[in-house]
Amino acid sequence: MTVAVELLSVSKTYDKVAAVRNVNLVAETGQVLGILGPSGAGKSTLLRLIDLLESPDKGNVILRGRKVSAGARDAHTIRKRIGMVLQKPVALNRSVSNNIAFSMNIRGWDEKDVARVVSQELKKLGLESLAKKNARTLSGGEMQRLSFSRATVYSPELLLLDEFAANLDPRNVALLEDMVRAYLAGGQERAVVLVTHNIFQAKRLCHRIALMWDGEIIEVADNKKFFESPDDERTAAFVNGDVVY
Amino acid sequence: MAGLFTYDVLEVTLLSLYVSGCATILGSSIGIPLGALVGLKEFGGKGAVKTITYTMYGFPPVISGLVVYFLLSRSGLFGFLGLLFTPTAMIIAETLLVIPLTAGITITAVTEVDKSIKDTITAIGATPRQRVLTVMREAWVSLIMAAMIGFGRAIAEVGAAFMVGGNIAGETRVLTTAIMMETRAGHLGFALGLGVVLITVAGTVFVFLRYLQEKELL
Amino acid sequence: MLILVVSAVGVYMFVVLDEEDEELPPQTLMLATTTSTQDSGLLDYILPDFEEMHNADVQVIAVGSGQAMELGKNGDVDVLLVHSPASEKQFVADGYGESRTLVMYNQFVIVGPEADPAGTRQAHNATDAFARMKYNGTAGNAIFVSRSDNSGTHSKELTFWSYLGFNKTQVQEFSDSWYKQAGQGMGAVLDMCEEMDAYTLSDDATFYSRVADNLVPHLNITSGGGSDLSNQYSVIPVNATLWSHINHTFALDFVSWITSNETQDLIASYVKYGQQLFFPNTPGYVAHGASLASTGTLGRLAMVNKEELSN
Repeated sequence: MTVAVELLSVSKTYDKVAAVRNVNLVAETGQVLGILGPSGAGKSTLLRLIDLLESPDKGNVILRGRKVSAGARDAHTIRKRIGMVLQKPVALNRSVSNNIAFSMNIRGWDEKDVARVVSQELKKLGLESLAKKNARTLSGGEMQRLSFSRATVYSPELLLLDEFAANLDPRNVALLEDMVRAYLAGGQERAVVLVTHNIFQAKRLCHRIALMWDGEIIEVADNKKFFESPDDERTAAFVNGDVVY
Repeated sequence: MAGLFTYDVLEVTLLSLYVSGCATILGSSIGIPLGALVGLKEFGGKGAVKTITYTMYGFPPVISGLVVYFLLSRSGLFGFLGLLFTPTAMIIAETLLVIPLTAGITITAVTEVDKSIKDTITAIGATPRQRVLTVMREAWVSLIMAAMIGFGRAIAEVGAAFMVGGNIAGETRVLTTAIMMETRAGHLGFALGLGVVLITVAGTVFVFLRYLQEKELL
Repeated sequence: MLILVVSAVGVYMFVVLDEEDEELPPQTLMLATTTSTQDSGLLDYILPDFEEMHNADVQVIAVGSGQAMELGKNGDVDVLLVHSPASEKQFVADGYGESRTLVMYNQFVIVGPEADPAGTRQAHNATDAFARMKYNGTAGNAIFVSRSDNSGTHSKELTFWSYLGFNKTQVQEFSDSWYKQAGQGMGAVLDMCEEMDAYTLSDDATFYSRVADNLVPHLNITSGGGSDLSNQYSVIPVNATLWSHINHTFALDFVSWITSNETQDLIASYVKYGQQLFFPNTPGYVAHGASLASTGTLGRLAMVNKEELSN
């Protein structure tokens, strides 16, 4: 088990509100780490810190043993190794094919390779007939699957998912969860960090789960323990559905 | 009535289009990328730069004309170029007006691109340059609109055009300076007629550009 | 987008630039003059003669007298044709102009409301008329609108005030209840007088033009015709020792052309609004119809011109 990414004593404050407080967290390769918790607990902030979209006020982000920083000149090279899917489906104002091609074009891939991968992905997504249409005309679920594809098509070693299946219909949620499993299985040394407040999704997908509460990590445990015999009473309350969020 | 000033209205119209067209292209090529950089990058004094840009919208064009006159006059810094009273001088003066306008509209346009789109572009690993270019592409319709508004500004310009162009028949007379001259001479009807020509010409340009947009050629 | 620009440039070059098929490209002469001169149409009438004779392209920049002289000071034009004698003399004395040669004159007129509340029709001369306008102005019976823009007309107006003992600063302090400082061109000032039933000093051509277009139905010439109201035009080549790029020989050609007998006759022949507007008065001018027996004068004129050219 190698450590894919580690957060060491990370804190982040926005507008005098401490979103993240002294968090220590480790995500291992070959696993899906879930971060569960009520809204506003700071979960999205954690992902943004990992993907170097923001810098922590205190502490460090360590990717494969190397400290990385959002302010560094080559921050974008680090981000090239990470994929991220946001809660809101995002479509660039161009065709479906070009949306998929975008992440590869950014990296200067050869045209032929790009074309090949794009047609593969279109088949996987079942969107071949919509290839030339402007991606903004897709439905929410189609757009989110497109976002997922766009984020994984360059085989990142770490995949970050921020409530990526929220507000979608069951069919699309199931498709997306399968895509996560396929991604993990598709290569060695891959890791996934999944932020969600959907307990059932966490139960289905995650190997290890962390409970985040009010900016702090309360408990981290493997799937079975988390749901059946958590250490902390807040975890138990959350898992039982006693917490309103 | 028009016989008093012997000049060719067609010639004047074409010169208007030439001068304003060049000023628009030049001004937009500078203003739009500048606006995108200001809108997308964080830097000290960003707020001040934005305020200055928006203030320049209301910059009296006749002052732009005066400044360019002083620079291009024989007694001025660039007098040796001999550019005063040429269409080039008019293009320079009008470009100075188009730049802040297109920059300001672009700043707003790129700022308003959805944050999740910008985050996605960054997260995918785009270099800072790729990010700016991609966001510009996302805001493309607004950027074209910025250029079109810049054109409207340029072709309507009279004070600066008169000052650095001199309204010389056959050389630097454009629709706006001709209108001013005819008005001064009391030929109000003819001046109004020239005004109609101006609006029609500008309108045709806009309609054509919109058509290109519809057909996604722009 | 690029195609559009290229074709626009192409069209422009074909239609606009391809006017003349001459062997030699014409030489350019930059002439600064006043708006009233341009508006009178005289230049459109006489310049083609010069242009043909000398293969010239005279580029006329028509602005206010003050601005025209600034252009001359800055070396932005080659020659001036203006009508502001006091400023012109200063201009040459300060070294900006090489010489000053009288060319022609037209008439100023005092225009005012038909009722003529200031009684300027009874004035003995222009100065008297101005005195009456001031008297009635301060008394609240009349209004005067001034060009107030350093133009030739404005300078002439100030001359009359100076005869009455008021310098420029004092004039600017006249009460604005009766003395309106417009800061505008002649046409605009006449329109203001029409609206306000006011007096002003105008050049005859602009007034006639307004009358011809029926824009000033309530105004009349109340005083005019005297020699004290003549508006003297002069031609001044810009000092070439200050500016090496000036087309000096060409400017001197222009001076000798406009002061030549033939051109002076041409100026006299310009008729508009049913009258001769400009009266040539260059020194040595002999009106058309005078006998060739005055060769002596012509000969002297020719010699003078040669001397100028050889400088």
